[in-house]
Amino acid sequence: MGIKTKTGVYVCHCGSNIAATVDVEDVTTFAARLPHVKTARHYPYMCSDPGQGLIRQDIRDKGLNRIVVAACSPRIHENTFRRTLEEAGLNPYCLEMANIREQCSWVHGDRSGATAKARKTVAAAAARARLLEPLQQKEVPVEPAVLVLGGGIAGIQCALDVAGAGFTVYLVEKEPSIGGRMAQLDKTFPTLDCSACILTPRMVDAAAHPRIELLSYSCLEEVSGYAGNFSVRVRKKARYVDADRCTGCGDCARECRLAGRVPSSFDLGLGRRSAIYRPFPQAVPAHYTIDRQRCLFLTKGRCGDAPPCVQVCSPGAIDFEQRDEVVELKVGAIVVATGCDLFDPSRKPEYGYRDYNNVITAMELERLLSASGPTEGSVVLGEGEDASVPRDIAFIKCVGSRDKSAGSEHCSKVCCMYTAKLAHLLGEKVPGASIRVYYMDVRASGKGYEEFYDRVRREGVRYIRGSPSEIFQRGSRLVVKVEDTLASTPLEDEVDMVVLAVGLEARGDAGRIVDMLRLSRSADGFFLEAHPKLAPVDTAVDGIYLAGACQAPKDIPDTVAQAKAAAASALGLLSAGRIKVGAEVCVVNEETCRGCGYCVQICPYGAVELAFSERYSHETALVNEVLCKGCGACAAACFSGSMQQRSFRDEHILSQVAVLGSKGKGDQV
Amino acid sequence: MEERFEPNIVAFLCNWCSYAGADLAGTSRMQYPPNVHIVRVMCTGRINPLFVVNAFQQGADGVLVSGCHPGECHYREGNYHARRRFTLLRELLVFTGVDRRRFNMSWVSASEGAKWREVVREAVEMAREAGPFEQFRREMIGW
Amino acid sequence: MDLEKLRAAAGNVLSRDDIGYLIGWGVGSYGFRTAPLFLRDAGEVHRLTFSPLCGSNLAVFLTMEYDVAAPAKGAAAKERIAVMVKGCDSRAVVQQIVERGVDRERLFLVGCPCEGVVDPGKVEKKFPGTVEPVRAGWENGAVVFWTGGQKVTLPGEEVLSAGCLDCSHPNPVLADIMPCEEVKLRRLAAREDVSMFEQKSSADRWLYWKRIFNTCIRCYACRNACPLCYCSDCLLERLSPAWLFRSVNLSENAAFHLARAFHLAGRCVECGACERACPVEVPLMLLNRKLAREVYERYGFQPGLDPDSPPFQAAFRPDDSEEFIL
Ligand SMILES: Cc1cc2nc3c(=O)[nH]c(=O)nc-3n(C[C@H](O)[C@H](O)[C@H](O)COP(=O)(O)OP(=O)(O)OC[C@H]3O[C@@H](n4cnc5c(N)ncnc54)[C@H](O)[C@@H]3O)c2cc1C
Ligand code: SF4
Ligand code: SF4
Ligand code: SF4
Repeated sequence: MGIKTKTGVYVCHCGSNIAATVDVEDVTTFAARLPHVKTARHYPYMCSDPGQGLIRQDIRDKGLNRIVVAACSPRIHENTFRRTLEEAGLNPYCLEMANIREQCSWVHGDRSGATAKARKTVAAAAARARLLEPLQQKEVPVEPAVLVLGGGIAGIQCALDVAGAGFTVYLVEKEPSIGGRMAQLDKTFPTLDCSACILTPRMVDAAAHPRIELLSYSCLEEVSGYAGNFSVRVRKKARYVDADRCTGCGDCARECRLAGRVPSSFDLGLGRRSAIYRPFPQAVPAHYTIDRQRCLFLTKGRCGDAPPCVQVCSPGAIDFEQRDEVVELKVGAIVVATGCDLFDPSRKPEYGYRDYNNVITAMELERLLSASGPTEGSVVLGEGEDASVPRDIAFIKCVGSRDKSAGSEHCSKVCCMYTAKLAHLLGEKVPGASIRVYYMDVRASGKGYEEFYDRVRREGVRYIRGSPSEIFQRGSRLVVKVEDTLASTPLEDEVDMVVLAVGLEARGDAGRIVDMLRLSRSADGFFLEAHPKLAPVDTAVDGIYLAGACQAPKDIPDTVAQAKAAAASALGLLSAGRIKVGAEVCVVNEETCRGCGYCVQICPYGAVELAFSERYSHETALVNEVLCKGCGACAAACFSGSMQQRSFRDEHILSQVAVLGSKGKGDQV
Repeated sequence: MEERFEPNIVAFLCNWCSYAGADLAGTSRMQYPPNVHIVRVMCTGRINPLFVVNAFQQGADGVLVSGCHPGECHYREGNYHARRRFTLLRELLVFTGVDRRRFNMSWVSASEGAKWREVVREAVEMAREAGPFEQFRREMIGW
Repeated sequence: MDLEKLRAAAGNVLSRDDIGYLIGWGVGSYGFRTAPLFLRDAGEVHRLTFSPLCGSNLAVFLTMEYDVAAPAKGAAAKERIAVMVKGCDSRAVVQQIVERGVDRERLFLVGCPCEGVVDPGKVEKKFPGTVEPVRAGWENGAVVFWTGGQKVTLPGEEVLSAGCLDCSHPNPVLADIMPCEEVKLRRLAAREDVSMFEQKSSADRWLYWKRIFNTCIRCYACRNACPLCYCSDCLLERLSPAWLFRSVNLSENAAFHLARAFHLAGRCVECGACERACPVEVPLMLLNRKLAREVYERYGFQPGLDPDSPPFQAAFRPDDSEEFIL
């Protein structure tokens, strides 16, 4: 240490918050006698303007180069005081805070005990402060592009907002078309707009936007890098259809040898399509895709004498030679908008979803009601001769929500409202139908939601409180066994159709996404936000944001709001153009490093690598300071102490331990 | 009556969970004994087990390491590394005859102020029962 | 064990173009000691020996040569170093490979199946004051010594290192050639040292270690003999920051032994070289074996067996045990 250490210690009263329990004068006199301490003062509010002014003044007048502030938790005011130092021309990392409020005056009633502890805390802080080094934060440029993962309404909205602000967007969607769940819905609560009518224009806008590159039928393969500079590999799966030639006429699908024989997953198996298909008429992009699992030519190597699709396609778009393509993208931020899965009701066998054709899920009903769905909007059960229109219909709510035994404790939030919506729509489609809803609670908080629920009840939908225990068949009808808990009467309700209001749950591949992006998940499996209240679209990884139902069950208004928030956060990062990275990162002493690579193994961010050192003619560790998040796990694993974390070097911690471990009150150090 | 032995305990806390939990105990004005002295690190993964050995040399009667619950580490994995390291260190200490009540580890999240209070109370009680640590305390005389 | 076969093989190795030199054991000049031998010339192989006196672990020399460590990609190939390894020595080499301390490509391992090496403390007591160089060998499971013109045969239990009595890998786990026949795994004694020691009360355990730690003179011979203690600048001897004070006393010695043992947790291959190197008979293996047992029983890991395994101290499993956590 070339320059002589001159430390100033500032003890805060925090009004009476500290001073009532800790004898601040005593602590100040004690501090003044500590080694290297030039000045010690106490003041009613150190964080106030005059309080900070005191520190600034002393730095300038007395040439102080290390500052100890004994006050509240560093988690509250470390940044405040770092700025104070900076304003006085001192490096902000020459600050050490001694927490004598949250961890002393507020938790200890006894004045002498608390004062003794405060002394020791200050002595340890001063010992550590002496060894602190001035540090610089690095700044790196930000790549002016955003990757949006998932092309549901969340992803679409986010992409439009980011592109609208002038930045490039890569919108990656795993299905052949964007649209997500919303594309499957008939109408939307509470206003009953037609889902396709409000969604389709956005889909088209996204595809047509000059700054949005749509990568549909694609999946994420690898992500590396850090906020501002992510490298992403995306696999564009072969569609076997030349996107530039396909006009979307659909001749191929009509002529396909498997036409009408392949269950459509978009219609949840209720309708059938060909091996070459477009999931729904308004799909974006509009071109066709060959289902590689079904296509006879791709699976068997031949399709009759010649594939009819090839024969009828006049622009010659079918291309069986097409291969997957992997593209590398550079982006500054990533928005995850992968949406949610639906609870599989066969996990509750008592509801007979597998056994009875007339037990269906709400999403299946959406498809039946949709004018572009498999039944063109008519609600019929069975086919041909047996086709019949259900008259008595029961909805069961909270299937796979709020149900610990089914492994999902959370409320899915949208089911109350979509049940009301579907009940209303059914009433319209099937005049005279008798509809009852079995429920535990009705949660209708949202603009216009309670009013909508009220309207549906006034229309004659009966709400019966009770959670059915069983569904079984009686003749051609179904019996819902349930206890009406308000009337305390057991019921056996005979109906023609049961609709299960299935809950929303995390995507099956959420684990893979979490691993790739280094995110976390909350107990319910959805992606974890950085803070439930104050940072609901951020994640623990800088530069990665969440939007929509992948974070928690959400309806469309909330999804869109969050998508816009995620876009704004990403834009904040992008428009700044540069990003600061941590200063308290790890650093290697090449001279003593033995190149064992434990640090490389341990670093959860891949920030350490081994590189050949010319000087020592063997491999030594090398830290990428931009990737390092400053946890210090590598430093603790380094046997020879060659890996150190700035501001948390071995000597820093040992200096604190020397004071805090000693039996004395810290004064003899 | 004989004066009650007041053990001196050094606690290593991670910034994101346990240190925040200890702050919360303060904000909620929960009372606990002043015997615990806190060293803040960013992650339990940073805590070199030799710091613990050193604390005992310096005269600590007990040492506590506290971090985020498994799966909740701010840096994803630091607490898993810590768990292995300190499990082994504790076995080693106990094997050489150090009272097992002197070294403890806990998971305290940022919302568990009350748990932090209980952990402190427990650690202090255990160290109190174990008595003053003399075994390999550093004698400052002669140095 | 056929010494002539071994020497002939060593000669062949040394005549190869790609081999720079061979590290082996040479006849010692004093009592029960052997000396490490560095041979470049095939004509000198008669100086090589292999016997129950070859207790030192020659892998220790590999990491002293920095350019044996993994070289940069594309660096020109350098000459290989041949080294004679017992079973335990080969495990040390495997662990060195795991830790990138040496580059497998640069090594040529001459495997020497081993029936146990003597404990210097035990032979010292059997043959007090011997200064003349002694020869020794294995015969039908026993150890024979030629000293003062006489042949003395002693059962292994009486003279071998404790670790050798229940050795789990008498044959090298990694070798490029194995000139002599493999030996059979035999357990002369099932050692319960760790669990027996654990039966003692905490106070008694400390009394024992207090005495031991007080005996240690902190000469660092144990560390120097260990093939896995190859830091060029040992943390425990560093002045700034001073983890340990230089003074030799109970506190610093205890901290040294705890730290050394911990640094070797999940790495120590139980060759016993440290213990044999200690001039004052500190039972270093008791600490090593305690940790080795914990590492094996809790985490199912044994070091020095698989060159491709990740290093133990850099790994974890989310479901690792945590019974003591408050
Ligand atoms: C039966 C039912 C009825 C509903 N009715 C209404 C209603 O009337 N009103 C209302 O406001 N809300 C309603 N909702 C809720 C609404 O569907 C959601 O709020 C909305 O769809 C959430 O949008 P999202 O973009 O977050 O997710 P999603 O719509 O699920 O979109 C996610 C997109 O990401 C894609 N994706 C997933 N994983 C990946 C991956 N790994 N890589 C690339 N792409 C991926 C998916 O293919 C999908 O296109 C209803 C929900 C259900 C289940
Ligand atoms: S244990 Fe033995 S060899 Fe190791 S430092 Fe102590 S006296 Fe030296
Ligand atoms: S600590 Fe001792 S027994 Fe273990 S590898 Fe090193 S020398 Fe061999
Ligand atoms: S004791 Fe530890 S620091 Fe010293 S040489 Fe051995 S492994 Fe390296």
